Amino acid sequence: MAGRGKLIALIGDEDTCTGFLLGGVGELNKSRKPNFLVVEKDTSVTEIEETFKSFLARDDIGIILINQFIAEMIRHAIDAHMQSIPAVLEIPSKEHPYDANKDSILRRAKGMFSVEDFR
Amino acid sequence: MKDEVSLRLEGCLLRFMDQLELLEEKRQQLNSLIEQGWFSISKARYAMGNKQVSALQYSSEIVPQVSVHVRTLPNGETGFETEQMGQQPSGDAKDAARRVEEVGPVDEGVRRRKAATAKNSEDHSDSSTKPVAEEELSISKVPPGQQDPLKWFGILVPQSLKQAQSAFRQVIELSAEIASLQTAVLSTRKELHTLMGEKHKAPTGKESSES
Repeated sequence: MAGRGKLIALIGDEDTCTGFLLGGVGELNKSRKPNFLVVEKDTSVTEIEETFKSFLARDDIGIILINQFIAEMIRHAIDAHMQSIPAVLEIPSKEHPYDANKDSILRRAKGMFSVEDFR
Repeated sequence: MKDEVSLRLEGCLLRFMDQLELLEEKRQQLNSLIEQGWFSISKARYAMGNKQVSALQYSSEIVPQVSVHVRTLPNGETGFETEQMGQQPSGDAKDAARRVEEVGPVDEGVRRRKAATAKNSEDHSDSSTKPVAEEELSISKVPPGQQDPLKWFGILVPQSLKQAQSAFRQVIELSAEIASLQTAVLSTRKELHTLMGEKHKAPTGKESSES
């Protein structure tokens, strides 16, 4: 059934947010909370974690994009998220390139093989 | 029994490897496009000034132009698909896409406004002036929140900022594909675990025939 689509939320540095907002993912009006957070040098880890959890609690968000260096700050919260919706996608930032070894999804996929399984 | 489970396990493992390979490929495309986007934003910042391309320019009211549709596939996996939401109150999506891209002779479009709107329903093989005229009309009706985000940074923005927007739009589409692939990878992983458990529990062919 066709209905209103879900939003793409974003937690990133200024350049990342500017780029994605140019792409049209942002939402901000007087009555609703924004679906993005611009992380600056003085943004606390608590604020980032609370924003992430608030995005998880919303039923109108389908994907959460987050810079990987910010995801590292709240890794415990990301690893605890097991549902398929919203999907969490870690993206690189200008100063921190993407590292597949740190990605929660790929770490979960990697950690399944052992020698015993192939006997 | 064990042979059957082994066969299913092998098929599942091959599918898992294919999904991982595709995920890696999409990731590289995404990272490359994001870097292009940043580079274009930096060029725009250089041309316009540091403060002219920053969070200070974001509109106080923003309406999303992209939404993502989530659907459950027949195999139980979750699929994500992006959709561009119309900026204008009416009109085709194709016309809207054309209007965004074409920067035609504005003056001619303004003068021919009445003729263009009258003929628009009959003649779709139009000149570049017609879409521009309609864009001007539609922009005057659209509230500030629904404007193209490029307009936050000024009326005449450098080409590099438009390139940045184009790059990030592609990134958004790729993000949906990667989200679908990620859920597929995790679902296949779960299936592999289940099959491995079955394989270890299932008796071998010899044991079952001897008993």
